[in-house]
Amino acid sequence: MKERVVCASGVGLLMDYLEGALPEDLRAELEAHVASCPRCTAFVASYRATPRILREATLAALPRGLEESLLAFLRSRRA
Amino acid sequence: MAVPGVQTSDEALAARAAAGDEPAFEMLVKRYQARVYRLACRLTGNEADAPDALQETFLQVYRKLASFRGEARFSTWLFRIATNAALMQRRARARRPGESLEAFLPRFDADGLHAATPSELQVAGRADELIDRKLLAEKARAGIERLPELYREAFVLRDLEEMETAEVAEVLGLEPATVRQRVHRARLMLRGYLGDLVGVTP
Repeated sequence: MKERVVCASGVGLLMDYLEGALPEDLRAELEAHVASCPRCTAFVASYRATPRILREATLAALPRGLEESLLAFLRSRRA
Repeated sequence: MAVPGVQTSDEALAARAAAGDEPAFEMLVKRYQARVYRLACRLTGNEADAPDALQETFLQVYRKLASFRGEARFSTWLFRIATNAALMQRRARARRPGESLEAFLPRFDADGLHAATPSELQVAGRADELIDRKLLAEKARAGIERLPELYREAFVLRDLEEMETAEVAEVLGLEPATVRQRVHRARLMLRGYLGDLVGVTP
């Protein structure tokens, strides 16, 4: 029987897999493929790291003084 | 009456604010301003636009409080307003559309196998170790800017603000499956983009 999951189709299943939205049979096939495929193992690691890297690179703290000016602005509009 | 150590719920504060309790409104502002600011930075791609989006968000919240019925969580309702305010701010500033990230999608051979080697494939996941932090911050913002708008808003809410997919779906008025599909496309493009930053073609 021809394998249903190859690298290309496996990539398309990753999001649903990670969110637990994949049917059981496909989940098992995907896991078996990734475990036996060094390229997919590497791909999955980088796919999972991507959100974290971008999240950490785009942290922005509220600038000093912005709370005061925001509250003042809102008070002026409510007055 | 407030119980020490127990935070008044957003919904209770919203009800008081809607009835004209100004300190309750300001408590909500203080509770959410930092998250709304960060979301605005990420959606507008621009720290200069974020303060206006922040002001507009809470002005809208104030004006619409009376219509907040508590069908959604207050935070979901607030983030819907904040997302729209940031997108309006973005559109107000004429922008050249960024070059598409399609070129960074993964490539496969005729048998559907990854065209790149394992070491090439894993390197995108180490971009933060391989690039200077300041440069990465600049490039990250530029990459997110280049996403198609539909993917950008889903990706920012789901992956950068770390909201549950179901809540993102509620904020954006989409089915969860659609959110997952858009976030997935964004991840694929940005993964390839990060790889490109560290010198690996997809």
